[in-house]
Amino acid sequence: MGAYFARRFLLMIPTFIGITFLVFTVTRFVPGGPIEQMILQIEMGGQAGEGGAGAAADATTGQGARIPPKVMAELEKRFGFDKPLPLAYLSWLGDVVTGDLGESYKYSIPVIRLVISKFPVSIYFGLIGFTLAYLVCVPLGVMKAIKHGSPFDIVSSFTVFIGYSIPGWALGTLLLVYFGGGTFLDWIPLGGFRSKNWAELSAGAKVLDQLHHTIAPILCYAIGSFATLTVLMKNSLMENLGQDYVRSAFAKGLPEKRVIFVHALRNSLIPVCTGLGHALGLIMAGSYLIEYTFNIDGLGYLGYTSVVERDYAVVMGVLVINTALVLFGNVMSDVLYVLVDPRIRFT
Amino acid sequence: MSEPLLRVVDLQTWFQVSGMTAKAVSGVSLEVRAGEVLGIVGESGSGKSVTALSFIRLIPDPPGRIVAGEVWFKGRDLLKLPWDEVRKVRGREIGMIFQEPMTSLNPVFTIGMQVMEPLLFHYDLSRDEAWERAVQALDGVGIPDARARMGDYPHQFSGGMRQRVMIAMAMICDPAILIADEPTTALDVTIQAQVMELMLDLHRRRDGAAVVLITHDLAVIAETCSRVLVMYGGKVQEEAEVVELFERPLHPYTKGLMDSIPHVQDKGKRLATIRGNVPSIFDLPEGCKFCTRCPVVEPRCWTEEPPLREVAPGHRVRCHLVPGTPA
Repeated sequence: MGAYFARRFLLMIPTFIGITFLVFTVTRFVPGGPIEQMILQIEMGGQAGEGGAGAAADATTGQGARIPPKVMAELEKRFGFDKPLPLAYLSWLGDVVTGDLGESYKYSIPVIRLVISKFPVSIYFGLIGFTLAYLVCVPLGVMKAIKHGSPFDIVSSFTVFIGYSIPGWALGTLLLVYFGGGTFLDWIPLGGFRSKNWAELSAGAKVLDQLHHTIAPILCYAIGSFATLTVLMKNSLMENLGQDYVRSAFAKGLPEKRVIFVHALRNSLIPVCTGLGHALGLIMAGSYLIEYTFNIDGLGYLGYTSVVERDYAVVMGVLVINTALVLFGNVMSDVLYVLVDPRIRFT
Repeated sequence: MSEPLLRVVDLQTWFQVSGMTAKAVSGVSLEVRAGEVLGIVGESGSGKSVTALSFIRLIPDPPGRIVAGEVWFKGRDLLKLPWDEVRKVRGREIGMIFQEPMTSLNPVFTIGMQVMEPLLFHYDLSRDEAWERAVQALDGVGIPDARARMGDYPHQFSGGMRQRVMIAMAMICDPAILIADEPTTALDVTIQAQVMELMLDLHRRRDGAAVVLITHDLAVIAETCSRVLVMYGGKVQEEAEVVELFERPLHPYTKGLMDSIPHVQDKGKRLATIRGNVPSIFDLPEGCKFCTRCPVVEPRCWTEEPPLREVAPGHRVRCHLVPGTPA
């Protein structure tokens, strides 16, 4: 067993390299990279009055004519573009191993500090959304399985599938439009993690303010997972209720509650439980679009803006954290398998 | 003759599947007597398992439903009891063993927990007492090193050992009736004999208890049972003491079953079979259920169902062509 997990952890390394190398390569070829932006800035400064669009077009075609080669070489060196791709990647990877994720070109501070500062916000939303989804979906799925085919089952299926078909960020936009104090109701704040004057509030008001800012984003976080998790729970329990061992348990004269909630439920929680590690990894990383919609200054928001602004050091930094979380979550799932299912012993 | 342990009167268990009705059991009456091993034999789909499951109302509803009948046990009709009372009969007074030892135990709970569970729910025992009793029960069914194995999970046992665990679990409350539904079908032949012997041994040691053995294996019936019911098409076709049935089978179906047992002296000859297939349970013939395959079928067999008549003491048969004893 120990050997298995050692292997799993070692296998994380090539996966990690694969993912980061792919994205690293992409950052090299996508137009509008940091050098082009720098060039643009320099040119904009030097030749005021020229149209922005025209400058951008020229920047890619006739850069050599306007930027001195020496400046160009310096720029390339600064962003590591002077080396061939594999070498540049290796040098980046070497820095990552030592904990150096580079420096943000936009904020001019080390990426690692930037990421750490945004992390708690994403964990806060991630954990609450995750817990809420499990707290709602597991009992709901169980109830649906027991009342399979009843009006309750049908209506709840309908509801969760409507939820499933709405992307979280789209729901977020809707909520903001209808309840965000615009033309319609003013129930939720327009965004942000807390109110601007949060520090001055009393302790109780702080909690309320935090909750006030939490409800809408959390709803968006959780809504997509409701359907999958609920249906997974329901189907898993239904399947187990049809098993021979359930009949055995009834034949022993156990009460129905004991048969359903101990014998069948324990088995049907196995797939739900093992998804936990995976889901945790995914959700902690934050959601680019939901954080962006609600203007929440978390990891997802940072990732989104860094992509738009081609702040590649940050893009890669956020990617490193996300990848590590997901890979770790997958191993966690394996650990959970061993914990909840005595039949499973990895070798 | 003393009052039977269990008396079933005109049991009807139907299944509703996609708008069609399958009369899996249609009008079965039988008795289980103290001390006997009653065999119920028949092909797959003859209704033998459903009959036994109906005794303690283990029919999954939907799709199944016990539509009519009475199951008298200790002066009460089990079919009319409230669920909580039925629950108290299950496992405590009527125990049950199933065909599939691989799937009949819960994979995520220890053997010990599963074996002692009936004690905890039927009697006011402490966990320690129940634990001790479970160790004894496992020991009694021949699990080596029973105490140490209490904490093991089902997947750590072989098929034969699991069936022993099932037997221990079904018998731990010392039930008056043990229903064994094809208990050895899924096991290796050598293990089959051991498990069957174990069951009979436990049975012999207990006074007045009965075993209902459901099987499609006539050889098993011949070796173990005292009385036999032959089922076909959801009905009892023939009933007799085991010796009587094997020496003087009367129903054409029973004869067909007997003929299809291979004998060593018939080596090289083609094995006799019953022609045709079991008719669809949704579309049973109106008259005798066996008329579609019967070698001696007559026109009236198609339209008129023969009654189950007693033709000799203790020997009943459902066939138009068997001459009845004068009343």
